[in-house]
Amino acid sequence: MRFHSLAFRLFATAAAWTLLVLPIAGFIIYQLYRDDVQASFDGQLLKLVNAITVDSMGSAAGEAQPLPPSNLYEPLFEVTHSGWYWQITPLQPATGRKLVSPSLATWTLPSPEAKSVAPDASGARWLNTKGPKGEPLRIVEVIDSLGHEPGKPRYSIVVAGPQDWLDHLVANFRYRLTTALALAGLGLVAVTLFQVRFGLLPLRQIERGLAAIRSGTATTLDGDLPAEIEPLQSELNALIRSNQAIVDRARTQVGNLAHALKTPLAVITNEARADKTGLGDKVVEQAEIMKQSVTRYLDRARMAARVGVIGRVTPVAPVVESLARALQRIHQDKGIIINVDCAADARFSGEKQDLEEMLGNLLDNACKWARREVELTIETPTTTSRARNRRLAITVADDGPGLSEEQRSRIGKRGLRLDETKPGSGLGLSIVLELARSYGGTCELAQAPQGGLAVHLNLPAG
Amino acid sequence: MRVLVVEDDKDLNRQLVAALGDAGYAVDSAFDGEEGYFLGDTEPYDIVILDIGLPKMDGISILEQWRRSDRKMPVIILTARDRWSDKVAGMDAGADDYVAKPFHMEELLARVRAQVRRASGHAKSEIECGPLRLDTKTARVTCNGQQVKLTSHEYRLLAYLMHHNGRVVSRTELVEHLYEQDFDRDSNTIEVFIGRLRKKIPADVIETVRGLGYRLSETPAEA
Repeated sequence: MRFHSLAFRLFATAAAWTLLVLPIAGFIIYQLYRDDVQASFDGQLLKLVNAITVDSMGSAAGEAQPLPPSNLYEPLFEVTHSGWYWQITPLQPATGRKLVSPSLATWTLPSPEAKSVAPDASGARWLNTKGPKGEPLRIVEVIDSLGHEPGKPRYSIVVAGPQDWLDHLVANFRYRLTTALALAGLGLVAVTLFQVRFGLLPLRQIERGLAAIRSGTATTLDGDLPAEIEPLQSELNALIRSNQAIVDRARTQVGNLAHALKTPLAVITNEARADKTGLGDKVVEQAEIMKQSVTRYLDRARMAARVGVIGRVTPVAPVVESLARALQRIHQDKGIIINVDCAADARFSGEKQDLEEMLGNLLDNACKWARREVELTIETPTTTSRARNRRLAITVADDGPGLSEEQRSRIGKRGLRLDETKPGSGLGLSIVLELARSYGGTCELAQAPQGGLAVHLNLPAG
Repeated sequence: MRVLVVEDDKDLNRQLVAALGDAGYAVDSAFDGEEGYFLGDTEPYDIVILDIGLPKMDGISILEQWRRSDRKMPVIILTARDRWSDKVAGMDAGADDYVAKPFHMEELLARVRAQVRRASGHAKSEIECGPLRLDTKTARVTCNGQQVKLTSHEYRLLAYLMHHNGRVVSRTELVEHLYEQDFDRDSNTIEVFIGRLRKKIPADVIETVRGLGYRLSETPAEA
């Protein structure tokens, strides 16, 4: 998962929320539980202290001294240093009888009242202290007078219980709570991860769809996408369509411009040839320059219109077939034979018109120079399996006179013609070069095995 | 030889008609697609020069319809649209050649000659028949090496017969192929021109086949 991605954003926010909320929730639950347990423990202590008070102070009506509790209440009061203690101490007068539980032995419980702890609503005073073994104790104290009558001698009745038992209980709970919450947290993070992956699955689908368009196996973004990104899908498709429409329109306009300019040029040239004053020659010469410029810039315009168009793939075989047919007809006087060897699955990653333009010019040149035969070979070398690196290797070779090395290096540079006797604008090869370059391809001239010129064209395959 | 020029640009049309006329062809011209289609569909042209971008009906459709109704005359497409996709479309529609504007009139004429020759089954630019020799490039006829001076009508007649030598050519066929559409056609004029030709070349070269027409004989003298 990359840092700068939708998945990371979604995951990070969800995980952060989980990690923030779970500890807070755990803390609150822990607090509530501890308070609850404490309250219940305190309730038990309060019950004990009240029972002992009633037992020792109330039942002894008329007695001058408090009586030991008739009930044991808690067996651990009998066990020395068990943590459970009670203690009845005279306050006024201090000479009264002092009673303690056997568990207390020689130890004396401190009095919360003596430590100026304020009583709560029920008149009980609470204190946490240490016991005889240094163990934490919870102490509750009630002050009552003998027979519950005001004015009679007053006693402090103290009951203590082991706070560490309670602490142990709470700690145990905390451990289990933490474990449960940690597991829940891990589960939530895992679910978030899955949710992000699953939720963003349609984006992967779009990615695959766009790749298909780029490689030309699809012309629109297909598939049943979720409602949220369906507008994106239709917008993208509209964009692809309008892009295509703009290119087609530009081509049409360029074609119209060509038509509009070339017919008057033909008229002027023909008219000027009949002129014998010298002006005619000048006009013919200038008209030729105009014609070259028109051709060159129209081709540039066509190329510019194509830049940025995505997803066009042209099967090569049909293009080659109709081109070979047309060219054999055009050159039927010479009886040229075009031998085509085209891989059946060869596909060009680009516009059909551009492929036609490149192959047409190369084949036409070859036909003009060939004696009898022109060889056209189209291969798809299997050097790499990665789709975007596949190439087409096209070779056009003729059995004509060929070119010297010096001529080969000179030709194609400015579309110059080496032999003015053969008809043609001379722009053919330079157009092929420019087109091939605009597709990231190459065009090289070499000596053909059959003696003539061989042109090697390397283009991206679809 | 009758030529049809279908071109909507008036100046270019005029230039083509003039150049082809000078080269010895009987030329009809049309300025829009419908007219061009109709003429090509009804008149027996020896060759058609067809523009692609035409008003009312485009050149490709015209050509396809002609070929569908089995009109086989050679057609040269003349257009400013010179991309190979356009050329292939034109050739696939049934064109025999393709000339891109702007063009050299001489080149167009050469292609017209080549197509006419090929259509009548001649491989070379010079057609020989007995003592006669027709150089289609220069539109000259020689007889035993001596140049024969011919008027344009005489040349048309002789050139047509030489293109179709060895077979009988009827008077109607001659009239249809030698004169423009709006020419006052009178088959008697053919007889007049045959008579004049027989005075300029050995008389027995042009053989009259009674009731059928004329034939250019490879080996005269024997009759």
